[in-house]
Amino acid sequence: MSITAETAKEHAHDPAVLCCRAEAGITIEPANLEDPAIFDDLVDSGLLCLDGCLTIEEVLGAKLTKTCDSLCPLTKDVLDGVNAPTTEAPAEEAEEVEEAPAAAPVAAAPLKIHIGEGKDINLEIPVGALGATGTAVAEVPAAAVATAAEEQEPKLIRSLTRKHFNITEVKRGPETKIEGTTLYIREGIEKECIDSQELVYDLKIDIITPEDYHTYSETIMDVQPIATKDGEDEIGSGITRVLDGVVMMVTGTDANGVQIGEFGSSEGYLDENIMWGRPGAPDKGEIFIKTQVTVKEGTNMERPGPLAAHTASDMITQEIREALKKVDESFVVNEEVFDQYRRPGKKKVVIVKEIMGQGAMHDNLILPVEPVGVLGARPNVDLGNVPVCVSPLEVLDGCIHALTCIGPASKEMSRHYWREPLVLEALHDEEIDLCGVIFVGSPQINAEKFYVSKRVGQVCEMLDVDGAFITTEGFGNNHIDFASHHEQIGKRGIPVVGLSFCAVQGALVVGNKYMTYMVDNNKSESGIENEVLACNTLCKEEAIRAIQMLKNAMGGEPVKAAEKKWNPNVKASNVEVIEGVTGEKIDLVKNEQSLPMSQKRKEKYD
Amino acid sequence: MGKVQILLRQHVGAPCAPCVEVGADVKKGTLIATPTGLGANIYASVYGTVTEITEDRIIIEAADEQPDEFVPIDVPEDASKLDMVKAAGVVGMGGAGFPTGVKLNINLAETPMGELNPEINPELPENFSIDCGYILINAAECEPGLEHNTQQIETQPDKVIRGIKYCMEITHAEKTIIAIKKKHHKAIKTLQKALENEPAITMHLLPDIYPMGEERAVVRECLGVNLDTMQLPSAARSVVVNVETACRVAEAIDEKRPCISKNLTVRGKLNGGNAAHVYMDVPIGVSVGELIERAGGIDGKYGEIIMGGAFTGKSTELDAPITKTTGAILVTIEFPDLHGANVGILVCACGGSEERMREIAEKMNGKVVSVCRCKQAIENKPGAPLKCLRPGNCPGQVKNNLQFKKDKCEYIIIGNCSDCSNTVMASGPKMGLKVFHQTDHVMRTVGHPLYRTLRVSKQVSQDIDF
Repeated sequence: MSITAETAKEHAHDPAVLCCRAEAGITIEPANLEDPAIFDDLVDSGLLCLDGCLTIEEVLGAKLTKTCDSLCPLTKDVLDGVNAPTTEAPAEEAEEVEEAPAAAPVAAAPLKIHIGEGKDINLEIPVGALGATGTAVAEVPAAAVATAAEEQEPKLIRSLTRKHFNITEVKRGPETKIEGTTLYIREGIEKECIDSQELVYDLKIDIITPEDYHTYSETIMDVQPIATKDGEDEIGSGITRVLDGVVMMVTGTDANGVQIGEFGSSEGYLDENIMWGRPGAPDKGEIFIKTQVTVKEGTNMERPGPLAAHTASDMITQEIREALKKVDESFVVNEEVFDQYRRPGKKKVVIVKEIMGQGAMHDNLILPVEPVGVLGARPNVDLGNVPVCVSPLEVLDGCIHALTCIGPASKEMSRHYWREPLVLEALHDEEIDLCGVIFVGSPQINAEKFYVSKRVGQVCEMLDVDGAFITTEGFGNNHIDFASHHEQIGKRGIPVVGLSFCAVQGALVVGNKYMTYMVDNNKSESGIENEVLACNTLCKEEAIRAIQMLKNAMGGEPVKAAEKKWNPNVKASNVEVIEGVTGEKIDLVKNEQSLPMSQKRKEKYD
Repeated sequence: MGKVQILLRQHVGAPCAPCVEVGADVKKGTLIATPTGLGANIYASVYGTVTEITEDRIIIEAADEQPDEFVPIDVPEDASKLDMVKAAGVVGMGGAGFPTGVKLNINLAETPMGELNPEINPELPENFSIDCGYILINAAECEPGLEHNTQQIETQPDKVIRGIKYCMEITHAEKTIIAIKKKHHKAIKTLQKALENEPAITMHLLPDIYPMGEERAVVRECLGVNLDTMQLPSAARSVVVNVETACRVAEAIDEKRPCISKNLTVRGKLNGGNAAHVYMDVPIGVSVGELIERAGGIDGKYGEIIMGGAFTGKSTELDAPITKTTGAILVTIEFPDLHGANVGILVCACGGSEERMREIAEKMNGKVVSVCRCKQAIENKPGAPLKCLRPGNCPGQVKNNLQFKKDKCEYIIIGNCSDCSNTVMASGPKMGLKVFHQTDHVMRTVGHPLYRTLRVSKQVSQDIDF
């Protein structure tokens, strides 16, 4: 299709091909030229040969000397007054970038889909046809950005201390208590949990030890750290006590046996369906206190159902928290201190985390009194999904109780926030000034998506940030907001790096010209939502790539265009380049191939 | 003649309200319906008796005797020329049907130049302006196979020029340009002679490609200005008037003749051959069947009957009546049978609507699996007819072809203009798409080349060199 002057500028160095028949004597304008975004497909199918073809900047304004037909590559012999080409990019950059077949989906091929208001928007985009809209996401290599600003002292804002208590055994007993490294859970607590929630018909507790990992489980709705605040301390500062070696795990179905999940669920044998060690998942060796909640039939897909399951389970956690408060200091096995510094003079960045807010299990309780608790928290759906600003330490101290349990491989469990890798990396990076984290919900309705997205843009404008990260969980529907956040922030001249699961199955459905710097969270072999818990969530390796990319973006370095199809090598070579520059080895996490093959995976995926 | 059906809506705007009763005797020129909003008066086109009034039409049983005399329009002695045009119920007879009395109610001498979209006018200087008001006479007769406009120029040049002068006077236009395809040698020579002493009226010769008669294409060809899809020709200080409409204006003023008849072409798979039958002054409301009989009758099996041209017309039935905007009745050969193959349709502003394209696909026994729209086809308002951003200048079609391939189409049916059809052909067949054009069955019937690859230039010299 013919292109606009703006597109012609973006593609100045791409081949110039007539979109339609043009007669001798005309002056070449953008309207005469085909969109380079589709050339790969045309070349592949033998419809186009670009040998000797001039670039768009060379032909604009030149006079055609011969009548040429549609899809004719413009060459010197049919033009008069060809412009001299400019160089594509400064040479020294090209060197480094060359190594990375890195890319962003819409950098070179802006897929412009304007979505006004409306519902039932179905976009079907031939991924190949448009030239890599959203398939491959990748990045530019590390070229540390030298900050010109003079050195200023970092300012300590606040600190958070985690005191770790080790648990080696979980038993049932007459009261909930912690004795040494043994945690006892009161017998009969189940009934109180059930009675507390009208919609909860049944609740069972299973203590899963490593020997029991090959146990069948209903879909895993959440994985939560067991932690409590010390004294009057509030989330995000002071002291937090946390149990090591044990996690809470919420699972469940409705009374008809339907999984509380939507886009796939993770039911099955635990050892086949958990990606160990992901920030949001259990670590191998940990004991799970697993609740299996049965909610009223049909409420699995309504807001009150999943919320009741979480609230009922939290009664148990709350009793453990009370017990944890009483444990003697002498049992502390480890102490971690998180310092939040502002770094004046450094590039100021913000992390925008898009969280689910469509309703049902797509909800998050924000800022409970206790880490990942229920009491005191406000569901972001009730808050209208508007942006909520928190400190990085609040994130790491369990300010999000996530109800998310679907699209298991790409959703962020409560524990994910507790160990959020991008927040941790950015917090500790002395080259940037992390000013905070913005949570924004992803509403169901498009009009609301744009409503909240505009607020995000406004907040970023007020913050005067030099750069922003946008993360999202899941894929598909939420990518509409994800794209809109990029636009709202990007159009204010702020470079944005986006992190999402995309790969094959999660290819972006929408895009805009600000979605240039993208990092793919995929780790699965085939680039799919494989229903293995937390497999494709944001890990340290993504955080490192994203931070390097944002530094480059803020330094004004370009990113290579995306490849046509998802190519995992893009990530591999970028990691290599970053290692080469920083001299530090990046350990890549394993994927589902390291797990025993489940029947479901065998049948559905691999 | 029998029954004559006069539709209450023959124009852009609201249907008219009847002002006669069943049983009334009417004459040629009896006012039978008046506008309820935007619209134009409707007159009886025959002598006879009103036998039925339905929601959308007035049915008149025509008398056996049909004298030529008509009832002149009822206007005061001192009525202005514009009032006479309004009273006569003249509408755009090229097919659009916009009430001419409303269209001409403009003072072009005082109409400022509209704001032009620089994106589609890259060659115009920033403060480009048109020197004076223009009447642009649309004599392109662009729908292939039609001949009644050209024939009227050849036979009634005086009336055409009178009509032009009235339009200029009413709108305070200083100049007129008649846009006519260069291939009409005889009509051009006739005009050349008739215009010898008319310095304010000139001709602009058009290439023989489709579309040239689209209103904004006429403006672009004559004045070099590209209007966007929302703009009217007044943005280029002009009013576009079809040849026949200009003649109806002359009749309304000179003869006080109401708008009761239509010139049209009947053509196709008819007994006696596929040549055009041009009928002047056919009473409005006469049936399609009657006109086909007059032209010799249908020759054996046929595909469909189209009211209007091959590009923009619609399928019709034998008992449908003609209106003030009916330009043609075409009887086509049978459709090819695609035996249920997957078909993609490419909808654009130049050809049929999606509904019409789907109808054709169905008549060809194809299964529509993909629908694309030309990038330049703009829907100004939801549901409004598509308008082309740059009529006759293709924006590229290969992306649509890729989509058709992806959707597993074996055939595609396109409704595009000459230039876009050419672009579709540049990649479609190479991708293995078999291309049909919406007009193929008509073109085969009338012996016109099919719309595929473009072999003529979009530019023609303005010299009368034949």
